[in-house]
Amino acid sequence: MELRKRRGLMTALILVNIGFTAVFLLIRLIGHAFAPYANPPAGGDMIFEILVAGFLSTFGFIVAATVGCTAGSRDLTEGMFRHLVVTGRSRLALYLARIPAGLAIVVPLVAIGYLIVCAVCVFAAPAFIDDSNVNIPPGLSLAGFETWAGDHAEPVICLLPYNGPIPGNVACPGWSKSAVAPSQPAPAELEALAVKIASQNYQGYTQILRRPPVSLMIEAGLWIELEAAVGFILGLGLASLMGSRLLPVISIIVLQLILTPILSAVDLPHLQDLQRSFVGLAMTHLEPAGLPLARGVPGISGGVGRPGAAQSLLPESATVAVWVIVAWLAAWTILGAWRMMTRDA
Amino acid sequence: MPVTLVRGAPGKQAGESRWAVETHGLTKRFGAKTAVNGVELLVPRGLAFGYLGPNGAGKTTLIRMLLGLTRADAGTMSLLGYPVPRHRDAALARVGAIVDEPRFHGHLTGRQNLRLLAAAREPAARDRIGPALERVGLAHRADDRVSVYSMGMRQRLGVAGCLLGDPQLLLLDEPMNGLDPAGMAEMRDMILSMVAEGRTVVLSSHLLDEVERTCDAVAIVDRGSIIAQGPISELLAGARLALDVDCSEPRRARALLMGTTLGARIEPVPSALGLQITLPAGTGRGVVAEINRVLVEGGICIYRLQPVQTSLESWFLQVTGRLGDPE
Repeated sequence: MELRKRRGLMTALILVNIGFTAVFLLIRLIGHAFAPYANPPAGGDMIFEILVAGFLSTFGFIVAATVGCTAGSRDLTEGMFRHLVVTGRSRLALYLARIPAGLAIVVPLVAIGYLIVCAVCVFAAPAFIDDSNVNIPPGLSLAGFETWAGDHAEPVICLLPYNGPIPGNVACPGWSKSAVAPSQPAPAELEALAVKIASQNYQGYTQILRRPPVSLMIEAGLWIELEAAVGFILGLGLASLMGSRLLPVISIIVLQLILTPILSAVDLPHLQDLQRSFVGLAMTHLEPAGLPLARGVPGISGGVGRPGAAQSLLPESATVAVWVIVAWLAAWTILGAWRMMTRDA
Repeated sequence: MPVTLVRGAPGKQAGESRWAVETHGLTKRFGAKTAVNGVELLVPRGLAFGYLGPNGAGKTTLIRMLLGLTRADAGTMSLLGYPVPRHRDAALARVGAIVDEPRFHGHLTGRQNLRLLAAAREPAARDRIGPALERVGLAHRADDRVSVYSMGMRQRLGVAGCLLGDPQLLLLDEPMNGLDPAGMAEMRDMILSMVAEGRTVVLSSHLLDEVERTCDAVAIVDRGSIIAQGPISELLAGARLALDVDCSEPRRARALLMGTTLGARIEPVPSALGLQITLPAGTGRGVVAEINRVLVEGGICIYRLQPVQTSLESWFLQVTGRLGDPE
């Protein structure tokens, strides 16, 4: 109740977990509804990945940590802690009671925001698959894909990647796909080339999704809830240890937005174990396989991948990652509880 | 000054101890400074007990140790017969306390703050919120945010918080602080009503007049040590005796009395025909008659010879050495 009645904190929590993503998706929905050719559909797999991996996980962690810092410090700074201590309830129990109480606020809010993202990404997914800016009907067989490619030779030839000889100089809008012969190929040749290109790209086509699969949505939901829970417990322990809110919040922001990306992006040969011991990296290694960080897509938080991913700067097994997270949770809970048990109230 | 133990009614309540509070050799140091120095305190059940001392005497520190808010460096203590900190959960379940200025979450209402406190106590505590607010006279403001409460209202909310546990013992640290005269009177009545219900109230204060009006017994603490404790009436009975004398020829009267072996300190009263006589502690009533006899036989006309009732304040100042001691 004490946390729920803090309007500023709750506003920030709702804005980050629900408000920003809801407004972003609403703008996309409206834009697409009024100008469908100028504005792509609001949902889809790509938007899902960007929102979950790029926004909800990072800022959800920070806001949850801020809630934890508030839960860990406000009773102390506002003089309520001594009232609670003189009830006779053990200080350890007072500390541990904050964990379910805080999670009861953080977890549902994260879930609501995430469900909005899932709903929009599923129900407002594009009607076509966008493969290298070519809109292709979904669910085609190889034969169907080749037939479709033959009927849409120009965009297929101009936009889809192709590893092979181009029979002539194909004129594309604004540029040309050069070939050995300077002449324009015959339509039949273009159609055959498009079929070849389609055949070569079919496997990639089957891996492109219009909407996020259910399994990915479940995994990603659990993952961002884990991020939020870790953030809350970390903030609670840190603030209880320090006895204030501001410094722990700043520390966690620095950890999440500065240290973790740097440690993800650089290779420190003699300090790899230290890098692995950071909770942010461990959380990244637990990211569901369908999200961009796990696939090693650069540009988002450094792009550390799991073994076999495109960018594997620092391989780490899921087991080690889990142990790192458990160790962080245990360590900060023990430190926070210890300080609460020993501090003068 | 020897320590006088308060004789309270023996009790067989929680912890099977007659004492609501019992400490032996309780000590707390902050660096080189000893805030509480070997305190031996015995507070019987069922009365209002004042823990008196000047600012910085260690009153709040003692209460904080009793409540487990800070650790003692040496000594033992028990509340309601339960040794603390070993059984502090059992002891504090029936203890209510206000320490320092009562502070609450300002963004919550009084009732919501009490709900938080009740949640940390037994389930029945939740049912006591309404009656507690009624009792302290805050029911009509219970749903206002605490940030708009006056100091007196916060004090009353603190007392309401104490009542949630249906306490046998209340430890109130400077409960009169910040209260206006009407608020002090209300607080006094509240304390007396709780004592009338059989609860023990220990209040620390430096407002001696209020303590004298409220408490049955006191302990005097100075520089971390208890220098006297007992029922107020007994303590004051052992105080030095003061007499106001209005007479003719005050100078000659003073000379006559100075020639006796009474051991009195005799001061002329400026701008008045009289003397102020202070007799050592333990002086009997017969000495008053002896003074009268000496003066009358010396031909002094006596217009008034009046023993002055010693107040707790003047006694406190005597025993803490602020007035000096002729003994």
